[in-house]
Amino acid sequence: MNSVDPTIFLILLQDGIVNGAIYALLALSLVLVFAVTRVVLIPQGEFVAYGALTYATLGAGRVPGSVFLLCALGIAACGYGFWAERRTLDLSATLRLLGETILLPAAVLVLTLWLAPQRAGIAVEAFLALLIVAPMAPYLYRIAFQPMAEASVLVLLIAAVGVHLAMVGLGLVFFGPEGSRGDAFSGATYTLGALTVPGQALWIVGATLLIMAALALFFGLTLRGKALRATAVNRLGARLVGIPTAQSGRLAFALAGCIGALSGVLIAPLTTVYYDSGFLIGLKGFVAAIVGGLVSYPAALVAALAVGIGESFSSFYASAFKEVIVFGAIVPVLLARSLLAAPEAEEE
Amino acid sequence: MPRLPARLALAALVAIATIPAHAAEPIRVGVTVSQTGPAASLGIPQRNTVALLPTEISGREVKYILLDDASDTTKAVANTRKLIDEDKADVIIGSSVTPASLAMVDVVAEKQVPMISLGASSKIIDPPGGARVWVFKTPQNDSLMADAVADHMAKHGIKTVAFIGFNDAYGDGWLTEATRALEAKGIKLVDTERYARADTSVTGQTLKMMAAKPDAVLIAGSGTPAALPEKTLKERGYTGKIYQTHGVANADFLRVGGKDVEGTILPAGPVLVAAQLPDSNPIKPVALKYVHDYDAKYGAGSMATFGAHLYDADLLLQQAIPLALKKGEPGTPAFRSALRDALEGLHEVVLTQGVANMSPKDHNGFDQRARVMVTIQDGKWVLLH
Amino acid sequence: MRARRLLWLPALALFLCVPFLPGLPLFWVNLLDTIGIASIVALGLVVLTGVAGMTSFGQASFMGFGAYASALLTQAGFSPWLGLPAAIIASLAAALVIGAAAVRLSGHYLALATIAWSVSLFYLFGNLDLTGRYDGINGLPALDLFGIGLGDSRRFFVLVWICVALAMLGTRNLLDSRVGRSVRALRGGAVAASSFGVHTTWARMLAFLYAAMLAGLAGWLYANFQRAVNPTPFGLNASIEYLLMAVIGGAAHIPGALLGAAVVTILNDRLQSLLPLLLGAQGSFETIVFGALLVLMLQIAPEGLWPRLVRLRPARRVIGHAPELPRRAMPQRGDAVLDVRDLRKNFGGLVAVNDVSFRLSAGEIVGLIGPNGAGKSTTFNLLTGIDHASAGHVAFRGARLRATAPAIARAGIARSFQHVRLVAAMPVIENVAIGAHLRGRAGAVAALLRLDRAEEARLFAEAARQLARVGLAEHADRPAASLALGQQRIVEIARALCLDPVLLLLDEPAAGLRHAEKQALAALFGWW
Repeated sequence: MNSVDPTIFLILLQDGIVNGAIYALLALSLVLVFAVTRVVLIPQGEFVAYGALTYATLGAGRVPGSVFLLCALGIAACGYGFWAERRTLDLSATLRLLGETILLPAAVLVLTLWLAPQRAGIAVEAFLALLIVAPMAPYLYRIAFQPMAEASVLVLLIAAVGVHLAMVGLGLVFFGPEGSRGDAFSGATYTLGALTVPGQALWIVGATLLIMAALALFFGLTLRGKALRATAVNRLGARLVGIPTAQSGRLAFALAGCIGALSGVLIAPLTTVYYDSGFLIGLKGFVAAIVGGLVSYPAALVAALAVGIGESFSSFYASAFKEVIVFGAIVPVLLARSLLAAPEAEEE
Repeated sequence: MPRLPARLALAALVAIATIPAHAAEPIRVGVTVSQTGPAASLGIPQRNTVALLPTEISGREVKYILLDDASDTTKAVANTRKLIDEDKADVIIGSSVTPASLAMVDVVAEKQVPMISLGASSKIIDPPGGARVWVFKTPQNDSLMADAVADHMAKHGIKTVAFIGFNDAYGDGWLTEATRALEAKGIKLVDTERYARADTSVTGQTLKMMAAKPDAVLIAGSGTPAALPEKTLKERGYTGKIYQTHGVANADFLRVGGKDVEGTILPAGPVLVAAQLPDSNPIKPVALKYVHDYDAKYGAGSMATFGAHLYDADLLLQQAIPLALKKGEPGTPAFRSALRDALEGLHEVVLTQGVANMSPKDHNGFDQRARVMVTIQDGKWVLLH
Repeated sequence: MRARRLLWLPALALFLCVPFLPGLPLFWVNLLDTIGIASIVALGLVVLTGVAGMTSFGQASFMGFGAYASALLTQAGFSPWLGLPAAIIASLAAALVIGAAAVRLSGHYLALATIAWSVSLFYLFGNLDLTGRYDGINGLPALDLFGIGLGDSRRFFVLVWICVALAMLGTRNLLDSRVGRSVRALRGGAVAASSFGVHTTWARMLAFLYAAMLAGLAGWLYANFQRAVNPTPFGLNASIEYLLMAVIGGAAHIPGALLGAAVVTILNDRLQSLLPLLLGAQGSFETIVFGALLVLMLQIAPEGLWPRLVRLRPARRVIGHAPELPRRAMPQRGDAVLDVRDLRKNFGGLVAVNDVSFRLSAGEIVGLIGPNGAGKSTTFNLLTGIDHASAGHVAFRGARLRATAPAIARAGIARSFQHVRLVAAMPVIENVAIGAHLRGRAGAVAALLRLDRAEEARLFAEAARQLARVGLAEHADRPAASLALGQQRIVEIARALCLDPVLLLLDEPAAGLRHAEKQALAALFGWW
């Protein structure tokens, strides 16, 4: 009934790719965190929402409430850290712990209180938003997940639900029930034939590619990256050769926090973000991660783009049933993947 | 010895579970609004408004018991039962949303407690009779507002309209009412689209609407999420008229919408533009008092019309309670039943959102005076004459 | 013994009187009603997730099918009682359709699929005129029983908790049965179970259907308790909450469902009343505190609260005298049993088994020897249908062998595993009884109604006999994982013997055994 002319097709495709790029970033960090810690990071979406809303609040010249959460989490993480390492703590470890959990958030707090009222410019605000939100992730790992690192995947998953609930509730307190938008990095728009591409969209796609490249280099070339990969492949084996798994877990969470917060800052200018937006965005990232098999980055990327594009087109054809179509369509994919996977793999 | 902490936990639970309820005496008003969840932007100003309400009505102490239903039906019903059974509420105010309010109807009817809903849909009170004799509502019926929109469209020569609304009960209610109202005016609905509150993109829907080349677009959403389709339409170069519903009437919508929502037309309760009402309008002083009180407590320009619905519910109670007190003591079935009768008999009560004339057939009681057409100019709500 | 087992009946009767106690606030009755309904859904999750290991984020959708089916019928003027079978049929039908795909999914694919249908069904319920769109179906009439109205929550309490008791009883019966053991073996022991004839896909389906049926029952109760149905209570968030209840309570334990539902419901409710008093401010702090408490509870009790509160002692299973199970016709000594020709297995480019040929006759003990990586275990896996051969021909007792594990077990080939594959938390005797799976026939319905007791007694008598034969009778009631590795290998042999096998394939049975144990094993062989 509705024939799509080429222009509309291109616009839908572009919209899908931009959304898909964000899903891809989230899928990437979900895969990373799961492989290293076995935690299905449901609060991943909250880092996105926090990142976006913190950036938007800074843009309005106000001090975001999230910075106080950062401090509180830092203090709690410090307490947990001392408790967990009470037998092995020496001076340098103590200093490192204090620096990580007390000094860092204190510095960020001072910086925020100083910079927020004077509207220091988009780049500074974006960076500050990252500084506020990203360290929450490793703190959360210390507080919530490290004490039960050996629990089953299901229990870790439910703990992640708990963290998600608390973070959404706090998001409502900090940012209010209504949404916000951030300032665009670039107000420019580019014309490509019939297509107008906003500069922000290019930023998103560019940042996605850049992060992927950076991660590839990190995992391929650095010792820490290799250690992370080793932990992902075999936790016990990694520990036996002297890689501290708790540290790997924190690193994975830190990367996930960075990627989440950055995604938030990137999408804030393009769409309105709410305190509870994160769940749905994270869910789509999760879809991509699983369809990609929770192990393969390229497959997750393709899946993320497919989800984004599928969403874009189904919102054109039958918007009331968009979610039904997108989620309905993944079941056959899952079935195919499941059947192609190793026969009768033993669970747990 | 893993048992000790577990025992302690159990003991703590038991302790939590046995905190006693307090004794009955004053008039108890149970409030359940959606302070969290998808409808939080409605529920929070409503919660805030509770602090502005009088704690004494005709010499009697009034106690407000405030609960959050998290925009969830099950929770709203549980809250209603809790308010009635545990807190001995004489009247229930809430919930903020239609589906939850609908589910509460049978509970209050069974317990014979009057309820004043803050939900939008006329289905909450229509058709009258049956369980609904116990149910009143203060927000304007969406049918009243849809008629106003259709009227305005017809007067301005609009022939074709595209609709985009929330994929929830609010969007659904509006789609039904708008379809009816537009048809009555001979305006053609050329496309209907839906989107979810938290969607990050409505590009697909926008393109489809624009392909239908409508004279106007009607957006049925509440709060800031309603700005997304409008911004996308502007981005895509749409130049026609854009109508919103009274669900957007708060300051955050203007903040997020920015210059993209200039010129938007919407129906709203008079409280939104209280200061601009002619002095002859009896609603003006009532509405201004609410705006003033709210802004004084929560900051200038923070008033949202959703809170005013709860304020209006209390204004109704202030009229009805003195009458009911003559028939019975608070806490008794006689009082609750008399309160219901008194509410139903209210005549020409001036509220912030209009003037209510209740009757057994109409438990909303609003007429044309309860809506004004408003536009957005220079980032402010401006009354259209 | 029997009297003690029936103690729960008067306890239940007493409990059913609770709402009629003078002075118990109606509000608490309502809360208990809610807990009861939620615990039925959580009970389904105990079976599905805790026992069978299939994580589901979609139980509320099945509840929705039940609730909508009941509401639609009631709205059309039928008795709400008719809604009960309708609700169960609707949820079972939905589970059958969804399950056809879902039970073939493994691990995370399944979890995601459950999220997918949970989200899709929410929007489907909300966009269909049939289901009343987002406003749902409201104003349903109250249930009544011979003129006694059950609209009142005190009377409804009785109905809810009878349902809870029946659901708990049914779940216990189901899990403590032949099919129940096959469901319990899914987590960690699926490969071994299939080698003893358990159709694992069907066992997964059974768990899936049973959980959905309980959700449907809860949906019927919900529809009649709320007397209103709309999409929100059946969305993804609700499903997550039920899963949360099961995990908090102890997902592997039947009472855990009840405890979890109670803790979560009461906590949610009390926090709402308590927090404003504690914090002195009206806010929305409940979810924050609830989320934090949830994490804390899991840190204290990762296995759930139930096993933390109650020290679980392994129950003593009483093995009575029962007639012996019929035995299969054995080949004559010297008859050809197995004929393997040019068996080959390639894993990608690697040839793991390279054209192996050998023959076996009845009464022979043949050793398959070779260095590590020679393909011994792979050969066993090919012979027992766990891996599929790339080429070659296997004949068993003169007929070509079908290459699925259950069919091979049926033919009379039993095996043990190089890496012990027992269900860790299950008592030894029940692990052994899985070996006799094919020698019983009672199904799920018989199990639910306890019509399987005679057969069960025979199966367990056989298991006890084989366990005694290998000398581990005194360990019958201990969890399998608590035995030493060598003993676990011997348990595997007892389990294999329970099949009444024609051919026994033992994969490195003596590895990791101490000298004395090896001697005992040798004695066992010599004893035949």
